[in-house]
Amino acid sequence: MKIRMKTILKTTAGLLGGALVVALVLSGSVTAQAKDLKLLNVSYDPTRELYQDFNAAFAKYWKDKTGDTLKIEQSHGGSGKQARAVIDGLEADIVTLALAYDVDAIAEKARLLPVDWQKRLPNNSAPYTSTIVFLVRKGNPKGIKDWDDLVKPNIGIIPANPKTSGAARWTYLAAWGYALKKNGGDEAKAKEFVTKFYKNVPVLDTGARGATTTFVQRGIGDVLVGWENEAILSLAESGKGEFEIVWPSLSILAEPPVTVVDKNAKRRGTEVVAKAYLEYLYTPEGQEIAAKRHYRPRNVAVAEKYAAEFPKLNLFTIDEVFGGWQKAQKAHFADGGSFDQIQQAKR
Amino acid sequence: MMICRPGRLEAIQKYRRPDRDSGGRPEKIKMKLKTIIAAGLILAVQLGITAARAQTSEVDVNALLQRIQELEQKVKAIELEKKTATSEPTPNTTASVPSADTNSIRELDQKIRVLERNQELATEAAEARAKETPRLSVGNGGFALSSADTNFVLKLRGLVQIDTRTFLDDNSASVGNDGFVVRRARPILEGTVYRDFDFQLTPDFAGSSATLVDAWVNYRYRPELQFRIGKMKGPVGLENLQADTVGSFNERSMVSALVPVRNIGFQLGGDLGGGIASYALGIYNGAGDGRNPANNDFNDAKEYAGRLFLQPFKKSSLAGLQGLGFGVGGSYADVTANVNGLPNTTGGTLPGYTTSGLQQFFAYNPAAGAVMADGVHWRLSPQGYYYYGSFGLLGEYVVSDQGVLNTTSLARANLAQTAWQVSAQWVLTGEAASFTGITPQRAFDPRNGNWGAWQLVARYAQLDIDSDTFGSFANPVTSANSAQGWSVGLNWWLNRNLRVLTSYSRTSFDGGGGPGLTAPAAVTQQPEQVFLTRVQLSF
Repeated sequence: MKIRMKTILKTTAGLLGGALVVALVLSGSVTAQAKDLKLLNVSYDPTRELYQDFNAAFAKYWKDKTGDTLKIEQSHGGSGKQARAVIDGLEADIVTLALAYDVDAIAEKARLLPVDWQKRLPNNSAPYTSTIVFLVRKGNPKGIKDWDDLVKPNIGIIPANPKTSGAARWTYLAAWGYALKKNGGDEAKAKEFVTKFYKNVPVLDTGARGATTTFVQRGIGDVLVGWENEAILSLAESGKGEFEIVWPSLSILAEPPVTVVDKNAKRRGTEVVAKAYLEYLYTPEGQEIAAKRHYRPRNVAVAEKYAAEFPKLNLFTIDEVFGGWQKAQKAHFADGGSFDQIQQAKR
Repeated sequence: MMICRPGRLEAIQKYRRPDRDSGGRPEKIKMKLKTIIAAGLILAVQLGITAARAQTSEVDVNALLQRIQELEQKVKAIELEKKTATSEPTPNTTASVPSADTNSIRELDQKIRVLERNQELATEAAEARAKETPRLSVGNGGFALSSADTNFVLKLRGLVQIDTRTFLDDNSASVGNDGFVVRRARPILEGTVYRDFDFQLTPDFAGSSATLVDAWVNYRYRPELQFRIGKMKGPVGLENLQADTVGSFNERSMVSALVPVRNIGFQLGGDLGGGIASYALGIYNGAGDGRNPANNDFNDAKEYAGRLFLQPFKKSSLAGLQGLGFGVGGSYADVTANVNGLPNTTGGTLPGYTTSGLQQFFAYNPAAGAVMADGVHWRLSPQGYYYYGSFGLLGEYVVSDQGVLNTTSLARANLAQTAWQVSAQWVLTGEAASFTGITPQRAFDPRNGNWGAWQLVARYAQLDIDSDTFGSFANPVTSANSAQGWSVGLNWWLNRNLRVLTSYSRTSFDGGGGPGLTAPAAVTQQPEQVFLTRVQLSF
């Protein structure tokens, strides 16, 4: 029996080609339709509510603009832990972290985005700001008015752990900056002040939200020291006048940055939508959402609208006092840095 | 400093609302309160020490929690007693609760709360650490070690098959001998490195010497695009691609005698549309029909092979068609004077084809000269299966068209050897039949009345030799020009790891049957009837 290969190949190819078309049509692969897209925003602890609102608004905006259906997933945790997760392979299209150093770490260690990422968006890629304030219990029973009151005996302070939390690092630096200013730039006295501060800390949570839980829900401590947005949120959600906010005489300007994780977004085909997502944060709509969720907006008009919620404060920047995040990290939060020394002294 | 005072609602924390209206209490209660508070403080200090010394000790943690509970109960009892005393004032008891006592209770309460919260955080930290700790898993899928993020995995699997072969009504000249056979004995080492790179290394100790069955590295860029290099199963035959652990019979059908068992080379493949279509394309050293290639090759001629397989209804709602799959595999090579390009030699001394009992019924055994593969060798295999519920059907056709050369007469020919088979199965115990095997609903456990899964199987297969083969390339007196075999069997799947197979196969022959005491003559002198059993352990 002789079989002609060409005949067999032609017949088989025809049959398979037809079947493939049928299969693809049945699977919906070749039908013309708008795209379904997914974005993963890896963020820090207290931004859950902000991005729940913002994601809904942006998904609608994107659907209206392009017809694409966008599903945005959120991941939250201590800023440092979140950065480590991205470095270790969590495929974030976008990171919206508590501080620039954590994004720098992603750029330097995982090389997922350029090291000059912060120049890509206005305001150092920080579309909103916040600061560090005190949340005390109703009536302020311990009479806490400023940083000096925190280091008195028998005061229970609830911050988060600077090793894992962005808010905690801002808190630490705010306390240090205050002490420096008060003592004419004396680093030793600043360290002494911060050492006393952490001696009054009974619980160190890994993230800002955990610290809020400790103070608000578990009823531990006299004062929660952390994000202004988190304090206002606690005030709003407690609903029974259980707490009060104390704005100290001096604090730090916290600039939580946002950026696209370029290589992840490229691999997942989300570069365009991820970039648009971050740009939308700077629009009046995005700024309004940030303000409603108690973050200080950059947009002047929106900021004026919400001025009553955000008192004007005397704020210093990390660049002014510490020379930027890299130097601050190395001096204070790296292994063996001043925070480790303070913890050792505490023991 | 600015203070925000949100409303006038009362605070909820009890400890922050000391009862200033005690209205007189018995002195003895005050004394008792002091005593218990003092004891509580001591205990709290002890608890702190205990916690500091033994953070990771489960025993200590349990003791700690128990003592916290005891303390809480004592505080509650004090508060209750105090309340009772307040509501039932006795004469001459007008003193209020000393503020020092109230503060002590508050401090004690805070210490308990701090201890509890720190314990909670320690537990969370321990859980987080556990997530980062490498994992060891032992189960019916084998033994596995993996990093916490599963980017690095090492699995130890294994396969042991012990067979019996009993030839029925075989004459004295038959080469078929009854006996026990260690058919396969394979430790299988496989795993993943850096998330996307898989590997497998499989030796086999069942033969007279150890052989390397599989050795490959696979890069999973995406499910749709994977690159594999090494020694692996080639893409041509459907039945051949089915795992050794799940086949319906001890031996594959005569169809698989016309495709390479393994090949060495580079292969690109993947699944499209979530498995609606799968493909493989590769370039290999090439191997003869039914052959395992040598681990090296110094022949410039390479084999190109590929396969496209469709399951068009896999994702559809048509349940009755979801298990339908069909496709085609093929290969092409231009071989130059290579004896290894001819079929396997299992069961005989010359290259040829074998039965279900692994007896050779055809050999390239011309009366004069020797035969080598020389020229174009192509294969084509339309193939398909259908699974629905407990029923399964698998069919395949293969044509292997091979250029051959008689080294003495220098006769040449292109010989088209063809084979086809259809096999069916029915899982009597109701489990779903599939290409990848059966998972017993209830593993064998006679004490609890569980008997595993039972599977009825049947197969018909036929292999036809090109008529131009006989004369210059094979001897029609000894080799059959066609073999037809049917088989029935009953398989017992005790659990995911143990399987017992039993089957009866009968293969009849056209041609051959001439005198001789060796294969293929001795084999083709009468139909082969063989009863096969297998005990298989795989994990």
